[in-house]
Amino acid sequence: MKQVDIERLYSVISDVLNIPSESISEESSSDTIDSWSSLTHINLIVSIESEFNVQFSVEDTIDMLSVKLIRMILEDILPSRLSL
Amino acid sequence: MIKDVAYSSNESPADYARISREINNSDYLRDVSVAFLSSYTMEILKPYIHVELAKRGLFSSTYFAPYNNLEQEINNNNSGLHSFNPDVVVIHNRIEDINLEVLTRFYSYSVDELENEVESIILRFRDILETLRKKSNALIIIINFAYTQDQVGNFVGSQLSHSISMYIQNINNQLWKLCSEITSCYVINYQQLLLEYGLHNWIDSRLYFLGRIPFSGNAQIKMGKALARTISATCVAPCKCLVLDLDNTLWGGVLGEDGISGIQLGDDYPGNVYKSFQRTILSLRDQGILLAIASKNNISDAMEVIEKHTSCLIKKKHLSSIQINWNDKATNIHVIAKELNIGIDTIAFFDDNPVEREWVKKQIPEVKVIDVPKNPILYSWALLGSELFDKVSLTREDKNRADIYNQEKKRNEFHVKSKSVDNFLEGLEMSVTLGFVGDITLSRVEQLVNKTNQFNLTCIRHTAENIKMIINSGGVAIWMSVKDKFGDSGVVGIAIAKKMKDGQWLIDTFLLSCRVIGRKLDLVLLNYICKIVKGKGGSELYGEYIATPRNGLVCDFFVEHGFDRVVNKSNYWSYNLKAGSIKYPDFIRSEFVG
Repeated sequence: MKQVDIERLYSVISDVLNIPSESISEESSSDTIDSWSSLTHINLIVSIESEFNVQFSVEDTIDMLSVKLIRMILEDILPSRLSL
Repeated sequence: MIKDVAYSSNESPADYARISREINNSDYLRDVSVAFLSSYTMEILKPYIHVELAKRGLFSSTYFAPYNNLEQEINNNNSGLHSFNPDVVVIHNRIEDINLEVLTRFYSYSVDELENEVESIILRFRDILETLRKKSNALIIIINFAYTQDQVGNFVGSQLSHSISMYIQNINNQLWKLCSEITSCYVINYQQLLLEYGLHNWIDSRLYFLGRIPFSGNAQIKMGKALARTISATCVAPCKCLVLDLDNTLWGGVLGEDGISGIQLGDDYPGNVYKSFQRTILSLRDQGILLAIASKNNISDAMEVIEKHTSCLIKKKHLSSIQINWNDKATNIHVIAKELNIGIDTIAFFDDNPVEREWVKKQIPEVKVIDVPKNPILYSWALLGSELFDKVSLTREDKNRADIYNQEKKRNEFHVKSKSVDNFLEGLEMSVTLGFVGDITLSRVEQLVNKTNQFNLTCIRHTAENIKMIINSGGVAIWMSVKDKFGDSGVVGIAIAKKMKDGQWLIDTFLLSCRVIGRKLDLVLLNYICKIVKGKGGSELYGEYIATPRNGLVCDFFVEHGFDRVVNKSNYWSYNLKAGSIKYPDFIRSEFVG
């Protein structure tokens, strides 16, 4: 089972969207976080890709509008041996 | 030089977002406001630009206009752009956003039709830039056109008479010409930037189709750096002098041990690495950077290499000061600064030895010590990447600067031989020319106004556009150039005066280049500015001395030249233009060319 380093993920989201890590949960989404706009969404994609050294597909980047979805998509594409 | 601002140099995009919010105004030297007009969502670059400018000592506030609103923003006096009143306007129109039809059906156009397209694009830009120039004093930076992602995978062996790449190059050439006609307007060579990183790495098709973003994540950082580097170059003065070591810097090996035939300098590896580095250094000299040597060596051995080694491209004639001895390098750098009469903080130091670099850093913190990589192949990148010599424009004085300093050396030798100061000055056979600041002199005047620190009464900095505005609103701006028997020093003095009311005028700027201090030329300049102001109906000329850490030299300027102290106002002085005129020595010939 691949696992995403949740702390690292939350830290990136916190940096990009300018919200405290503690306020982030699986349920956080572009609907609940004001600073999550179409522009910061691009920043978020680029930042997560850089942090975890991965590349999302176009469909994934359109879909990942909540923290839970980001986590699931990341789990899906992270190489298993790295077990991040 | 780029400061590390206490952050690592390999920030991730998330780091940029965080650091961008943490940057605090009070930590930095200068504020700069930048407006962006673009054909795509340029705001994506905001954190990168903000952080990269901060690394260069600039605290930025930014305005991003809604995309594709160029004409509206520029023409409408109440637009966001004009209310923001920026110091710098950056314009980025991508070719695929403004000229998509042609790119899509390129081969359905005839050569003539394509030429018409180029013309209409340039006409549009001429209109935009001229209107903006009329309405704003801001510096204009325009980003040129680059290949689009559709060029990836193109067949490169095509023998067709015209191609998209030629078309884009043609627009860029015309754009360049256009910008050179507009005051304070500079081009960022975006096409070159893409070439450096590769179109493949630069674009990210996902972001392109998702959000009209023409950059990959990495390219966004690179773009932020390129923009910050250019903006910084427009407002931070470059270093004047590069001080170089010899052993393992200009050639490989140690001369004292290996001898002239043993050092590495030639046309094969590893000697060609050093020869190529010498070429880079000489190209800096061609742009007006003075070269000097500070080396611990036996002077006769070292000069033999410099003068006689066929692969040593840097010769004695290229060097403005040579300090080859066993003194410590900090002492030698002080000697160089004194000999060339330049500020110690305008000197950059390049030495392969980390111990020497540390020593100089500790002894003279003002000297810009370049971080030199161990591998000499990387020397040129380290030198140019230090950004210490970045210049957005080259003036006639820049191109001749090194020769001008050589004349100065001869002048000094003559000085030593002369009996008295007046005897020396008379023997120089100085001839001064003055005139009103106009289009031809404006870029040199702007340069002097922004970098002169010592003989500068107010140290008020102006853009070229500011100066034009002062002139257009009835003020007076004059330049002064000087020739003597040793050569032409070019434009070396500026005086600007503003009209206040009832015949009262105020000296806004009065400065002399450090090269000509002590030659009584300030008297000539003062004489003329008084005469001209008087001719325009002025009766009283006011002057202010604004103290800075560097202009203590002129703190008594006004009292020494017969100005009266203005009561109740510190550092304000006045001169009654009706009562008399400023005298200067007869042996200085002068001419006002209008």
